[in-house]
Amino acid sequence: MTTTAPSSQLSTTSNKPKRLSDGVFAFLLVLPGLALLLAVVVYPLITALVTAFFKQSLVLPGREFVGFQNIIDVLTGEFSRLLWQTLVFTIGTTLFPFVIGFALALALNTRIRGAKVLRGLMLIPWLVPGVVVSFLWMWIFNANYGVMNALLEGIGLIDQPQAWLAQPATAMGAVILAKTWQSFPWMMVMLLAGLQTVPRELHEAAEIDGAGTIRRFFSITVPQLKGIIGLVLLLEFIWNFQHFDIIYVLTGGGPAGSTQTFATAVYETAFHGFDLGHAGAIGLLWMVLLMALVVVYVRFSEKGEER
Amino acid sequence: MSDRTLFQSPISRRQALAIFGIGAATATLAACAPTGTGAAGGPAATAGTGSFAPTDFKFSSWSLTEEAAAPAIKSLLSGYSGKEDVTIEEVSFPYNEYFNQLMLQVRGGQFTGAAHVDVAWLGSLAALGKLQDVSALTADRGYTESSLKAAQFEGTQYAFPWTIGAIGLVTNSEILGKAGVDAEDFPTTIDDFEAALVKLKGLGGGLIPYAASTKAAQLKDILIWMQTFGSPLVKNGTVTIGDDASVEAVAWYKGLYDQGLIAADVDRFDARSLFAQGRAALYDDAPVGRGAVTKESPDPDLASKLVPVSRPTLKAGDTPRALVWGGAIAVVSGAGAETAADFGQWATSDLDTVLADYELRGLPPVTEEALSSDVVASDVFGSTFAERITKTATSNPFWVYPQYAQIETTIAEAVQAVLIGQKSPEDAMKSAGEAAQKLIG
Amino acid sequence: MTLETDLPTAAPIAPVADTAGTGVQDASRRTRRPSKPNALRSERPGVRFAAWAAVIVCGGFALLPVYWLLATSLTPRTEVFAYPPQFFPSTVSWEAYESLFTNPTLFNYLRNSIIVSVITAVLSVLVSAYMGYAFSKFRYTGRRALMYFVLSSQMFPQALLLVTLYSVFAAYGLLNTYTALVLSFTTFTLPLCVWMLKGFFDTIPDELIEAARVDGASRLRIIHSIVLPLSAPGLVAAGLFAFVRGWNDFIFALTLAGPDKQTLPPGLVNTYIGEASTAWPELMAASLVVSLPVAIAFISLQRFLVGGLTAGAVKG
Repeated sequence: MTTTAPSSQLSTTSNKPKRLSDGVFAFLLVLPGLALLLAVVVYPLITALVTAFFKQSLVLPGREFVGFQNIIDVLTGEFSRLLWQTLVFTIGTTLFPFVIGFALALALNTRIRGAKVLRGLMLIPWLVPGVVVSFLWMWIFNANYGVMNALLEGIGLIDQPQAWLAQPATAMGAVILAKTWQSFPWMMVMLLAGLQTVPRELHEAAEIDGAGTIRRFFSITVPQLKGIIGLVLLLEFIWNFQHFDIIYVLTGGGPAGSTQTFATAVYETAFHGFDLGHAGAIGLLWMVLLMALVVVYVRFSEKGEER
Repeated sequence: MSDRTLFQSPISRRQALAIFGIGAATATLAACAPTGTGAAGGPAATAGTGSFAPTDFKFSSWSLTEEAAAPAIKSLLSGYSGKEDVTIEEVSFPYNEYFNQLMLQVRGGQFTGAAHVDVAWLGSLAALGKLQDVSALTADRGYTESSLKAAQFEGTQYAFPWTIGAIGLVTNSEILGKAGVDAEDFPTTIDDFEAALVKLKGLGGGLIPYAASTKAAQLKDILIWMQTFGSPLVKNGTVTIGDDASVEAVAWYKGLYDQGLIAADVDRFDARSLFAQGRAALYDDAPVGRGAVTKESPDPDLASKLVPVSRPTLKAGDTPRALVWGGAIAVVSGAGAETAADFGQWATSDLDTVLADYELRGLPPVTEEALSSDVVASDVFGSTFAERITKTATSNPFWVYPQYAQIETTIAEAVQAVLIGQKSPEDAMKSAGEAAQKLIG
Repeated sequence: MTLETDLPTAAPIAPVADTAGTGVQDASRRTRRPSKPNALRSERPGVRFAAWAAVIVCGGFALLPVYWLLATSLTPRTEVFAYPPQFFPSTVSWEAYESLFTNPTLFNYLRNSIIVSVITAVLSVLVSAYMGYAFSKFRYTGRRALMYFVLSSQMFPQALLLVTLYSVFAAYGLLNTYTALVLSFTTFTLPLCVWMLKGFFDTIPDELIEAARVDGASRLRIIHSIVLPLSAPGLVAAGLFAFVRGWNDFIFALTLAGPDKQTLPPGLVNTYIGEASTAWPELMAASLVVSLPVAIAFISLQRFLVGGLTAGAVKG
């Protein structure tokens, strides 16, 4: 196997004088995307973060510089709670879809009958419009006429209807479950794609050597899929960290703020509380946190390199 | 060979800086960019009464796409556009998002024309400085004094009252009767009320005696109980939440919750569904709920069993409390505003129009003429509701603050924390009061 | 260890034949994946049993809510709030479906959703293909910083961008247009698409490009007539992901698109979650009906969804 060939040789063969240099050409290729990112993400982000230092309302004109007041308010107020809840939500909605998606990918990668049809059916939760996912689960979890209560009462797990969305512990669980339901199909698809790159010869050879299914799973499948597993986990983590729609529609961050995450808190503060300064401060702290993560990550990987 | 992946790849600190360096460069740019929101809101422009040439305008309402209410609103619009030969552009957002979206649009100047608003929002909208004073157009049109007042803010008539009522207790007289409670002689004090709820609970069968709001979205309903217990909520700019009366009210509510006299996870929608199914004996609602409740009910006679009752009071003889509820049409300055104002006046006070709307939506009209018309006066539910509930209704003192929505949310979350047992009523109300005070400034 | 090897997307190069095998020219003929699937010829009963157990448990989790969606949509309005609910509606009512077809605004929302999602998918694939190619096959200063910037841009709090985006789009008169939605969603999907496509391009041998160059093809032409066709499965896969982003979004679609241009998620809420009541059967019926065409399209394209990832990025 070759490593990725050093592509720089491509540029050295170009002798025609009127052509743009490769660097300029590449920059032109990058330009549309870069322009979009700067206009739609970076510029709005910076203006929003700047408001962290102002007392500014979404609806009233004018603003007043208040230094670090908003940031102090957030840090001494909801910050630790939001951080904890965001982490619980993010980790939950990253791990559960992973486990379910992986189990399904493994199962559907065998030759059981109907695997193809099932693979298609499993995509449905991913394709139901996002808000409907929230409404569906709101409907299922409803304390007074939800099917979840009826089901659990039917099999005797609970003896009276529970208000799933009205108790902090179960509300977080419900939100995680709903998000899990929405995102496991994409995990399944990614992992299935990965599984299909594992050369069959490896398995066959191991089988001849007498390795059992479980052993082959850990000694062949998992190492072969290391890259894709890490990747889907990382992407899910990043996305869920800032996931908004499902929480917002399902619980609105309640009860008593117990399912509020950074993303919903930012929106609630800006659009319901009209407090742009406070929202900006939450956003700024979120950014600082992410930067800290990046730095830790860099440190960590550099250390790994030295060893 | 290479087996490196994203997870093992080191980024040097320099590279990490480079990533954020791009951000920093943009930050400088962004910081220089104007972010102000334009001129401060001056005095309201006044909508005139003189003759004018009708033009096209925009009308926004949350009811335009809503299946139940849309036919009434659509026929209203086609009536006016046919009469004046203008085109009305429809703007609509889901009810729960409507207020925020309208605020954004009005603030940014994207929306001008006639806007269907909840009277609770007038203070916030007026703060944007773009609502017109329509007092010249509401004079001598036969609007009732109380409905005009409901659509005023700091003495200025910021909107045409449209459908003004109140939020009060609605009961199912049949279920009350089974428990030996007479809907026509409903308990007038809180103690008797609670005793009646206990009796209802005794009927069993999973009946929820009182489907009071317990979800944050509508927990603001608790405010009227705080007032019933004697808390003024705000006095001379000072928030009084956290006083004894408000704490008592919340402790009482928590008591109902713990006894199962009110149920968890209920908002207005749930309350209506439960009530429609005969699984709740009473709940809080505005007249707008009647249509939904009767339509969803398996009981075809439910409409005749609906009886609105006065809210009980702390001591016998006190005035029952009720919260003003209602829709109004505000006029946002700008293109088409003049025609929009004419439309607002016509839609809310032209007798035929109002009565046609009443047939479809059943919401209480606002002119003396319409109220005394046969069709309105002969509606027992409507007139009882007006007599027992709307008559003594007052508006929420927080509505005058642009931050009122956030104040209500703060209080609702505190009450929720009490209900689920996270905080004591004293602590929760004290901190909620302080937070609300901070929002008012 | 070359500089190249520690890139996020570094993937061992696939043999030429395999890469070509995923190309359009013979995709229809070949049903096998580029690398052979690892499904074993002789599966033991234990494996079969475990596979079925996983399918039943996870599949139940996946499909029971879908069933409930269907059952609710068929329940008459007056029975839908009964408790305990009926797992099988005793009377099947089609009224919710009938009301769909008398509601023209719903089709307006569906049309908007499809327009926005499709344009987002196409634009996103196009923009990220150029970007991904520039990251994959060219070397220049600042390339890695740029790559990390693009990747990390998806970590930024999108909810926070809404206020400024609203003003920016308002300033350019783009509110209430498809443009505002498409630009936003395209940007949000860029990082993933760039990443996927770069991985794909990495597997295209430089020799192939070099050969075309020697033949006198311009760099743009190489992209359009060699690289993109070879990467078709990857393009489709990236496009499908971008499509879903546009299809699922609620809050941007609500805020940036006016009533005429609103997509399904806010549209459904607008229509069925009213001031006075929630029309559950109708909401469920509408959700099913609008999801169906997309589900069918995805199922028929799932070959690409999986295969498109296979040749490119997924190997670690």
